[in-house]
Amino acid sequence: MRYPGRRALLGGLFAGAIATPPATAFAKLFAVERRNAETFTLPNGLQAIVLPSRRAPIVTQMVVYKVGSADETFGKTGVAHFLEHMMFKGTEKVPGGEFSRIISRNGGRDNAFTSFDQTGYHQTIAAERLELIMRMEADRMTGIRISDREIVPERQVILEERRLRVDNVPAALLDEAVREQLYGRHKPYGMPVIGYPDDIRKLGVNDLSAFYRRYYAPNNAVLIVAGDTTTEAVRKLAEKYYGPIASRKTEPRRRPSKGPSNLPQKVIRADARVAEPRWSRLWLAPSYRMGETKHAYALQVLARLFGGSETSRLWRTVVVEGKVGLSAWASYSPASLGLTSFDVGVHPAPTCGMADVEKAVVGEMKRLLDEGVKPDEVERAQNQLLAAAIYAQDSLASGPRLYGTMLSTGGTVADVDAWPQRIAAVTPADVQAAAEHVWRDSGAVTAMLTPAEGSR
Amino acid sequence: MKRLIAAFLAAFVLLLPTMAAAIDIKQITTPLGIKAWLVEDKSTPVIALSFSFVGGTASDPAGFSGATDLMANLLTDGAGTLGAQAFRQRQEDAAASLGFSASLDRMNGSLRVLSANRDEGFELLRLAMVEPRFEPTMLEQRRAQTIASLNQAAQRPASVAGRTLMTTLFAGHPYAADPEGTREDLTKITADLLKKRAAAVLLRNGVTIAAVGDITEAELARQIDRTFGSLPVGTSPALPPQWEPPTKPRTVVVERPVPQSAMLMALPGIARDDPDWYAALVMNHVLGGGGQQSRLFNEVREKRGLAYSVSSGLRTYKRAALLVVQTGSANERVAEAIRVIKAEMVRLRNDGVTDQELTDAKTYLSGALALSLDSSSAIAALLHSMQIDGLSPDHLTRRAALIAAVKLEDVRKVARRLLRDEALTTVVVGKPVGIASDP
Repeated sequence: MRYPGRRALLGGLFAGAIATPPATAFAKLFAVERRNAETFTLPNGLQAIVLPSRRAPIVTQMVVYKVGSADETFGKTGVAHFLEHMMFKGTEKVPGGEFSRIISRNGGRDNAFTSFDQTGYHQTIAAERLELIMRMEADRMTGIRISDREIVPERQVILEERRLRVDNVPAALLDEAVREQLYGRHKPYGMPVIGYPDDIRKLGVNDLSAFYRRYYAPNNAVLIVAGDTTTEAVRKLAEKYYGPIASRKTEPRRRPSKGPSNLPQKVIRADARVAEPRWSRLWLAPSYRMGETKHAYALQVLARLFGGSETSRLWRTVVVEGKVGLSAWASYSPASLGLTSFDVGVHPAPTCGMADVEKAVVGEMKRLLDEGVKPDEVERAQNQLLAAAIYAQDSLASGPRLYGTMLSTGGTVADVDAWPQRIAAVTPADVQAAAEHVWRDSGAVTAMLTPAEGSR
Repeated sequence: MKRLIAAFLAAFVLLLPTMAAAIDIKQITTPLGIKAWLVEDKSTPVIALSFSFVGGTASDPAGFSGATDLMANLLTDGAGTLGAQAFRQRQEDAAASLGFSASLDRMNGSLRVLSANRDEGFELLRLAMVEPRFEPTMLEQRRAQTIASLNQAAQRPASVAGRTLMTTLFAGHPYAADPEGTREDLTKITADLLKKRAAAVLLRNGVTIAAVGDITEAELARQIDRTFGSLPVGTSPALPPQWEPPTKPRTVVVERPVPQSAMLMALPGIARDDPDWYAALVMNHVLGGGGQQSRLFNEVREKRGLAYSVSSGLRTYKRAALLVVQTGSANERVAEAIRVIKAEMVRLRNDGVTDQELTDAKTYLSGALALSLDSSSAIAALLHSMQIDGLSPDHLTRRAALIAAVKLEDVRKVARRLLRDEALTTVVVGKPVGIASDP
């Protein structure tokens, strides 16, 4: 009962095929989730995914466009995010500022997000109101009117957003500088999602309209509906509202297959506003889509067992035994159209310097590379990853986000469904090979955040 | 479009009973006499528990601020025969998430576990509460992390503003103290003090419990008695005295080298059991409640581009209540943002809200509660807070009628009562131009 092992898990995953009742709770959940995603594509190329759930009489709609800040060019950074803001400004049918008000006065909530590879819009509302939000979202796929009158105050809003998220936050300013080194200045992923202030100030009607026309089309979007509805109901509404929108030729999305040639690099930010120092190292890493993609699943297991919790190798060495750090972490996000990064970091203990921390981290990495990892720690990491995914699917919001991210970075519904098996198939040798592939000096940037001289 | 919306509104009235029926709350009393609320839901093999004890950070022993918070942290850092690493490993192996935290008035706990690992989840919870170890090495680790977290918060404009607001409003009252403690107090806290703190707060008769998920009434009763039954019975920490709200307006500026100032504005608010509560909810929604439809959002952000984020909210504590407005604006423009916010408060006080605003607020407030009830933990948290607020299980069916009953005049009355310049406290953190602290 205590510990549903990996073998039991695998059994559950294939339980449907061998017609045996699932033995564990994990298996039961996977069986439920695997039945869940239903998909269809409209003639105009709009792909739709439906995730029915009868939990509560509510629905979430998310439309994800396959475009993000990594599709921008230097000099026009921030245009994807600026456009996301302008999408709330009105069409012929829904006048300026009314979009969110209509949702709200119908008891719903809405928001949007911009990332490197995708831009998403989502609403949650009573199930009966699905038609309203599908109609309005379809309307603004091509109907947004962008004018100077709306742009001028919105530019100030975005500059305030940048101050709030970046300029006021030393760690965020360092992260911006680190990306420039890791992915290259003026290169995709090397420029901030929100944009550089000078670019935000210059973007105008023409830039925003051109970007809108180039990327906002049914054949460049994914529609995801989760909640108390059926695939038939969604198909009918999608045909009615999204169906009439003409598809458009969109440009291929380009991402560099190699990083800068001048790595390793070191980036230090000394800032009077820093109270607690931070040491971190980032490596360029393969994603599901680019580089040595075969490592993408093993790297998730590696991140988990190396620095994913307070029982991880890094935490034990740095915080518990060595006491050189107050906390330690490792992270890796594989869903990217281009290369991604594998990160490790430590908040140094008060009496320890950056050199002590670096020595401890490098020592632990070397131990892993020299001695490999044990089967039981791989199994534990796999179970933790799978459990986290199960709990995430207990909430209505996370399903659409997961499918949206996968499908806007070149993945498929089948990839999402196969994720548990692929994670479960990772072996200790795979983890070691992935670590050897990624932990190379020629792909690394070391970042240090420190209090300014004499400020501490 | 107009006609379509009207049709949708008509349909909406039908939705509310559906939602309430979907959440069938059972009240149980265990053989040992412990009470709990349960929503049995077999749709996912998960059990979520949300519970709390009387006694929060406001009852920290004098000179030992942060003791309750640190105690809450350390409960899951080793218990019984298990050291910290072994305890955490057992949690991870059972995919159980278990945690404690302290608010001003209560110590809160939560458990989430797959129903297949139910016994293990409840056993770890029992160990954490009944046999915590408070190992010296873990105390040192958590103490150092807490001090680092305080140091970081002291540099984050929004955190500094939040802290300054509390110390200004609650000067001389226990609510003024930082729930995480002060560096000085934290360094004095011993394992022995934490043990005493746990003994004072973790009482069987001081607990409020809500459960949601794949568990029957009888099984929940059994698990609760096994988990909470061996806690002692006693007298919970006393509540602090009633708060005396300020009677004069006050502005406090805290200098920080940042381009954007963080701003908080607070007025005495309204108690959860006040007859005007629902009118106040409507008023707050129109003024600056969630979403992108409020007057503040429209005037401060949409029309003038003065901020990215601007909102207002009602906060309730056991001995105080606040109405708080927050925003962040460039140092050069924050004075204008404050001027616009104050003008909106005056307008609302003088003219109330429109018919349309009242109708829109009612539909939103009736519907929005359902939107957040999409996970076991979220439903458990709602059930728990309903008990803390002294509501009955049928509140979910009655709530819509209480909101629907709010009239224009009720909102006007509560606006006049709450939006009073003479009681306004303003905190600005940054390098604001044209704003200075009152002497």
